[in-house]
Amino acid sequence: MISDFEFSIHTGSAEPIYRQLVQHVRRRVASGQIRAGDELPSVRELAQQLAVHPMTISKAYSLLESQGLLERRRGLAMRVAPQHQRAQSAASRVELLRPALARAAAEAQQLQLPKATALKLFKDILDEADAP
Amino acid sequence: MNDPLLAPQPPMAELAGVRLAYSGGEQVLRGLDWRLMPGQVVGLLGRNGAGKTTLLEALLGLREVQAGVVQMFGQPATRLDDTARARIGYVPQQSDLFESFTPAQLLAYFKSFYPRWNEAKVEGLMSRWAIDRNKRIGKLSVGQQQRLSIIRALAHDPDLLVLDEPVASLDPAGRRDFLRELVEGVLERGTTVVFSTHILSDLERVAFNLAFMSGGRIALQAPLDELLDEVRVLTGPTAEVQGMLQQLGAQSLKRETLADGRERVMARLPAGVRLPAEANAEAEAVTLEDLFMELT
Repeated sequence: MISDFEFSIHTGSAEPIYRQLVQHVRRRVASGQIRAGDELPSVRELAQQLAVHPMTISKAYSLLESQGLLERRRGLAMRVAPQHQRAQSAASRVELLRPALARAAAEAQQLQLPKATALKLFKDILDEADAP
Repeated sequence: MNDPLLAPQPPMAELAGVRLAYSGGEQVLRGLDWRLMPGQVVGLLGRNGAGKTTLLEALLGLREVQAGVVQMFGQPATRLDDTARARIGYVPQQSDLFESFTPAQLLAYFKSFYPRWNEAKVEGLMSRWAIDRNKRIGKLSVGQQQRLSIIRALAHDPDLLVLDEPVASLDPAGRRDFLRELVEGVLERGTTVVFSTHILSDLERVAFNLAFMSGGRIALQAPLDELLDEVRVLTGPTAEVQGMLQQLGAQSLKRETLADGRERVMARLPAGVRLPAEANAEAEAVTLEDLFMELT
């Protein structure tokens, strides 16, 4: 069981909670933070931890299963499917960032911000995240 | 958990063509139709004064309606038998606890009415939510009274739980405790839940379905996930926007005319349909707050 499986969800987003969870797991698998055989919390545990309707968790897990990331075993915890042994290449990981950045780019254009300003902001935010 | 789609089951409650006006003459419910299916968790959304409390009271048979039918467990809501009554848990907006009782006395009193009473749950919640069992209810804080009201409603493991602004007096920690209890102790039993609140973030977490009340009716009821996936706001020249809606088979939810022959339409696309990438109209995803603002 992944003990420190810190899921985070945001309410007030245009992204439904089940999709936030799906993307969270995809990113963690892509980066190699969780790998083949690692077990996920049960639907019940995660629903309680996040105070979210259990059907929302089931929906996310089912989608991850159909995408081949997770594997369901009767009576046992869901686990990361065997083919996900190690982190994906940086090239394929960066693709996972595309939807979020595409949204940010569209908003930057609506705000008519110069490209350099938007890029600097992104860099600043990355630097902040690095800082201890 | 009951999935209403898997097996056709009779609704827990059904309202059809319900009309209700107060003596002043103002119509609050105007031909309202609504169904609650077993196991559904429905968040009821509406502006202040939209009639949410009136609707919940009519649903529970606490108010006579002037036209239409209100049925609960297949019985007329105003003439429920004791067995049906014991299947309902209700947290009213205004606390109706007896202020001169202590919590211990109040719970002992209610316990005598119900064939089913979950003492372990009551004791667990009383301890976890730190309610003084022996202080007069009138002396408890408003938040404590609200917690006690929730405990009373959950104590007999109801099959239908109706909550009218259950968390209005609770702080964020209290609200989270309440949501956890709902997820752990209530949803797991397959209980049908209806609750009204203006705290949208709470609804997003636990209300799988949302019902938007407007103009004395339920204007729309749908799973929140589907609404976030399928509703878009399109802005552009009227002809373009209308052409696109028609081509995609989208359902227009709210239309607003803008200057210069342009318009903004909030529309629900059929499931799985994507907007064309190159179109002469802008499309934006929506949040629950956007939906609330436009649909209530």
